[in-house]
Amino acid sequence: MLEVRGIQKHFGDQHILKGIDLSIEKGDVTVILGPSGSGKTTLLRCLNFLENADCGEMTMDGRKIDLGRASAKDKAFVKDRTAFVFQNYNLYNNKTALENVTEGLILGRHMHKDEAIKTARVALDKVGLSDRENYYPSQLSGGQQQRVGIARAIARNPEIILFDEPTSALDPELIEEVLSVMRKVANEGTTMVVVTHEMSFAENVATKVVFMDQGVIVEEDTPQVIFTHPKEERTFSFLKNIIHDTDYVI
Amino acid sequence: MNITDVKLSYLIEYFLDFIPFLSVTLQYTLLAMAIGIVFGLLMAKGKLGKNRILKGFANGYTAVMRAIPSIVLLFLVYYGLPKIFMGAFAINLTRINKVYFVGITLGLFNIAIMSEIMKSSYLSVDRGQYEAAVSNGLTSSQAIIRIVLPQAFRISIPNVGNAIITLLKEGTLGYTIGLIDSMGRANQQNALTFQNHILEIYISLAALYWILTILLDRGFKAADSKLSYSSRAKERQTVKAGEISKEVAA
Repeated sequence: MLEVRGIQKHFGDQHILKGIDLSIEKGDVTVILGPSGSGKTTLLRCLNFLENADCGEMTMDGRKIDLGRASAKDKAFVKDRTAFVFQNYNLYNNKTALENVTEGLILGRHMHKDEAIKTARVALDKVGLSDRENYYPSQLSGGQQQRVGIARAIARNPEIILFDEPTSALDPELIEEVLSVMRKVANEGTTMVVVTHEMSFAENVATKVVFMDQGVIVEEDTPQVIFTHPKEERTFSFLKNIIHDTDYVI
Repeated sequence: MNITDVKLSYLIEYFLDFIPFLSVTLQYTLLAMAIGIVFGLLMAKGKLGKNRILKGFANGYTAVMRAIPSIVLLFLVYYGLPKIFMGAFAINLTRINKVYFVGITLGLFNIAIMSEIMKSSYLSVDRGQYEAAVSNGLTSSQAIIRIVLPQAFRISIPNVGNAIITLLKEGTLGYTIGLIDSMGRANQQNALTFQNHILEIYISLAALYWILTILLDRGFKAADSKLSYSSRAKERQTVKAGEISKEVAA
């Protein structure tokens, strides 16, 4: 469904991504793990052109795109098929929860307003916020805002949803409400790529775990393998630091 | 003359006498705001854009305007502009109403002020919302027009209010070229009464500007809170409640 080869990205003289290959199949829930600064977020942002990669190749739905020279049409093609959930929610502060969802449907998908509202209500219902549709982001808690962010993404019915640390900005007691929505979305067969530090989500929901460090993919495998028998020393030491319950790892 | 000699009846008399001359103040303020908004927008675009020449010009213009005393620019415009027009196009500007010269002078300053206000308001809208919009199917210009600019506009209201108050006050310098606004009128009255009412005249004038500033300040605060998203949300919810109660009544 989505395949990338040899993505490279520099910020100034910092080499952030040093040739990333990744392939994502329909229905996959790919979790990307790694220490901060390893390039996880940059990789995710390159996948839908929030950042432009220096070079690399992308194949999406049979369309080949040279990432170093992607045209506006290429970018629109990919953006149309992907949705992004941000760490800081990035809801439109001048729009209500409902409008946050309909905006992309009406303008991006050219949906009729009534149909967009109907679609948006279904999405908001799915994230459990039907009763908050007329609230502005400033009136919602962080967890609620992020759920609106997820509703905004799923309403467009994209082929892939990219999640960039969706729970990192949340208070601990609000994390679970977002994770449970994400589990629900995953269980419906949505293809997802998730950058997160939530190990329980990676362990229980992911179909594939990718471990990144210093701009390269160190290791990728099923969560069962990654969490019990990682092949690489770097993966092991990272997981050991994160999961205090170390006797579970190996 | 002693401060205790100030007569209330004179204060009121002069105060009422000056009020009609506020129409002149209104004229040059409106002209300066119109010039400031139109050209300030272009300048702000230059400052935010990538074109180095436009950026340099816009920043240079602001730096120069910041350095020139208002009265110097007023004299340049009032004495210089007709000379230039006479020399270049053989057009005689000397018989034009002086209020235009004051308006243009203030407008030239206001371009610099408005461009800074617009630039900083635009930048204060979190870039993430723009990113969310373009990744949600909006084009770049849709994202700016529908998401960023409405918020930037609201953020700019208090600063625009301050700019207008500054213009009102700076305009009183127009008396130096013989403009009869409330300040010019005060000078006339002062001359007519051989400076016998000097305290009453200028205290009345100060009170007039004080009240004007208070009213404007209130107006802008009201506009600001009227446009705040939480008050809009309350309106929506009351409208909704109203609809429901109507339905119940029916």
